[in-house]
Amino acid sequence: MKLGGTYLFREQREQVWSTLMDPDAISSAIPGVEEFVPIEDEEHAWRAIAKVSMAAVSGRFTGQVRMSEIQPPVSYRLHVSGEGQGSIIGGNVVMRLADKDGGGTVLHWDAEANISGKLARVGQRLIKAAASMMSKRFFGNLARQIQAVA
Amino acid sequence: MAVVGKAVKRKEDPRLITGEARYLEDINLPGMTHIAILRSPHAHANIVSINTEAAAAVPGVVGVYTGQDFMDVNPLPCPWPAGGPDHPNNINTPRALEVEKVTHIGAGVAVVVAEDRATAQDAVELIDVEWDVLPAVTDAEEATFDGAPQLHENAPNNVCMEWDCGDQESADAALTSSDVVVRQRLRNQRLIPNPMETRGCIAQHEPVNGEYTIWMTSQAPHVHRLLFTAFIFEVPENKVRVISPQIGGGFGAKIFMYPEYVLTTALSKTVGRPVKWVETRSENYIATTHGRDHVTDVEVGANRDGSITALKVKTYANLGGILSTVAPGIPTTLYGRMLSGAYRFPNIYCHVTGVYTNTGMVDAYRGAGRPEATYVVERAVDLVASELGMDPVDVRRKNFVPGDAFPFEPSNNLLNGLSYDSGDYDKALDMALDMTGYEDFRAEQAAARAEGRYLGIGFSTYIEICGIAPSAWMFGEGWGAGLWESANVRMHITGDVVVTTGSQSHGQGHETSVAQLVADELGVSMDQVHVQHSDTLGTPFGYGTYGSRSTAVGGVAVWRSLQRIKEKAKAIAAHEFEAAVEDVEYVVNEEGVGSVQVKGSPDQSKVVGEFMGIATSAAGGWSLPGDMEPFLDETSYYDPPDCTYPFGTHICIVEVDAETGGVDIKRYIAVDDVGKVINPMIVDGQVHGGIAQGVAQALWEGAQYDENGQLVSGSLMDYAIPRADLLPSFELGRTETPTPNNPLGVKGAGETGTIAATPAVVNAVVDALSHLDVRHIDMPLTPSRVWETIKSHSNGGNS
Repeated sequence: MKLGGTYLFREQREQVWSTLMDPDAISSAIPGVEEFVPIEDEEHAWRAIAKVSMAAVSGRFTGQVRMSEIQPPVSYRLHVSGEGQGSIIGGNVVMRLADKDGGGTVLHWDAEANISGKLARVGQRLIKAAASMMSKRFFGNLARQIQAVA
Repeated sequence: MAVVGKAVKRKEDPRLITGEARYLEDINLPGMTHIAILRSPHAHANIVSINTEAAAAVPGVVGVYTGQDFMDVNPLPCPWPAGGPDHPNNINTPRALEVEKVTHIGAGVAVVVAEDRATAQDAVELIDVEWDVLPAVTDAEEATFDGAPQLHENAPNNVCMEWDCGDQESADAALTSSDVVVRQRLRNQRLIPNPMETRGCIAQHEPVNGEYTIWMTSQAPHVHRLLFTAFIFEVPENKVRVISPQIGGGFGAKIFMYPEYVLTTALSKTVGRPVKWVETRSENYIATTHGRDHVTDVEVGANRDGSITALKVKTYANLGGILSTVAPGIPTTLYGRMLSGAYRFPNIYCHVTGVYTNTGMVDAYRGAGRPEATYVVERAVDLVASELGMDPVDVRRKNFVPGDAFPFEPSNNLLNGLSYDSGDYDKALDMALDMTGYEDFRAEQAAARAEGRYLGIGFSTYIEICGIAPSAWMFGEGWGAGLWESANVRMHITGDVVVTTGSQSHGQGHETSVAQLVADELGVSMDQVHVQHSDTLGTPFGYGTYGSRSTAVGGVAVWRSLQRIKEKAKAIAAHEFEAAVEDVEYVVNEEGVGSVQVKGSPDQSKVVGEFMGIATSAAGGWSLPGDMEPFLDETSYYDPPDCTYPFGTHICIVEVDAETGGVDIKRYIAVDDVGKVINPMIVDGQVHGGIAQGVAQALWEGAQYDENGQLVSGSLMDYAIPRADLLPSFELGRTETPTPNNPLGVKGAGETGTIAATPAVVNAVVDALSHLDVRHIDMPLTPSRVWETIKSHSNGGNS
């Protein structure tokens, strides 16, 4: 399943980029995240626990988040894998920044998600809507943090 | 007063409508444990490792087990390989829990046994499985292509079996010399049975004698016992007792042996306590068998006068990731052999490829093979009519098996030696056309089109094969057992009659229709007749309820026992009246009271079914003739000479919304001939439910898998089963052509609606759009699909 979207930040690209590279900023922006700790001996990799509620499936998912293809201050790829509630979530998202005409930054994101198990059976028809809502919350949370930093 | 043929209210309904009936979930045993099964979230994967430690540590958990713990339990059998012993079938069947790999989502790989269900369900989430996920394939035809993911080592290109019937050469030759040949690809989509009650099992093991008692949602308790004892656990028959409590519907899905039944039973011995498993609705979607799922290329040849010259059918039948109990038999014997429909097609050929894919198991679902065949035949006839510009009614009449041609044997030995018993196809069609007012409809349709409204009419002049039996014939078709039926009738000292039957009732009303039969034959009241079934300890062996066989096969076994009881009653009376047996007759008077009396001597008469009547003479045994054994107690085993062949005409009138593609069923007319009818209300009920299911396949239902083999229509929110408010009030008619194949003249009524309805609806929608040159739309005919069709056929949407 492919998902994607665009988000606008008022701030300059470097400022957005540094927030996007900050694990604390990312972890506190992910809705429902309860734990986000670096994986030993690995760079840009974290173990995460998040509480997710989607369709009839609700509960804790445990998984890993990895960052790759880092091209500052333009783009990187985030790999996410999680498991819980009889469901498996896997996928990756590419985030790409560009200067916006007249100031600010445009963030394009393109994600590919694979969902298996209970979530696929009972939640499929809601996933696009839910993913779009969650991404809005994620980038909204990031935007607030950028403002807090600024 | 005779009750056969009357709409007697059902004896079983009071307990059902007051909530007194005991279903499996209502049964609780002392010390009972509960289980939750860890099911594969992947459609195709190897199991690398399973870690059960965390789950086992949860308070309240009795034990956690994987497939390795049940290697001494045999895999489930597949006793119906397609085509008989000479045909290669690449068989792969499930185990209680899978050990090495899974081939569909929902396959069980581990189980938690706990003190209560919630604990089991919580703990099962803590089992950690390492998977090696493999690519998946879900389409039956694509699965046979080179390079497709391979599911089983013994099935190259995922082919389970190849099967054919009819005559390929003659069909090809006839197609070449026909005036017209119409070709069409037809998809008969996968359906998911949704009985109100999901499956379940409770097992108890007695270490002292090694006996298992198994309560389970079974349509065929004796068949389940047979599979448990002879194939799975290899123990003698008397070590397993199977009981079906009240069953809330089955539609075929409760015929089969399932891994969960084996698992629950094996666990009852392992943990030494009773074990209960009740399927959740979510599990029902991924672990209970599905139905249909064919991709078919049909070629039909015809001459200008409308006579059909040949039918050639090539089908890919999706059998799922692993075989259910009789999976290969459904798209072969029960499908290909019915492709002559109500017609005398002179040349027929059918080839079926049974294919493994990474989808749920597929097996018999209401109608089982015969709805798929009827869909092909009834669509093919309509395609011919449209190609020739003829009225579909005329094409049907032109090709009908005529009323004087019975018994009728379809061409090319299609039925492998059997023949249609009796029929008057024109009569049923005439009645349905009269009820519809067909003459006026075409004018109404033309007027509506002028206003931009799309009305359509669809016909289905179906037949079906019911009373699935002759054992010898089925053995030749690969069925690994018999298909006769049994009944025991006992008249007790009080005159009350207890009938035990090997067939099983899960909504069909056997307790009523069998009692009607007994009441009329013996001359006792309905209240005096008690019909028992569904417990292997208390009933003679029987093959269960499916294929509309309970009355046509099981009912005849009851009838045979009744005749023997009547003969014995006459012999006892002859002895008491000191008359010759030939001079004694069994009479049922106008009040429905049965007595035996000396012919021409009404004062020498004795009521049979009452205290101090013949019943008491027999049960008391005080004065019996010669060496006669006491008691009126007779068991019969009946194996019919042929199946039965109900038929009829269903007509559907629809209006298609030109703007939205929505289909509204305006009228639904059904004329069914199911032979002699014992209880018209029960038959009507069966027809109503069947039509609803058939309409639902045409318009709404359909299992959807994504490219990874994930079922994305896995709940009642995502899978559209029919609702009463979507259906019109059905208009039913009936003709009655008894079968000569059994003394009751009954044919069977359980599946007619499902078999007939689907093509009637699709034909109606296609007819509604015929002025746009629409020839076919694949099911389900959802608004979006119909709307797309209208758009693509009407000049860019400008109609």
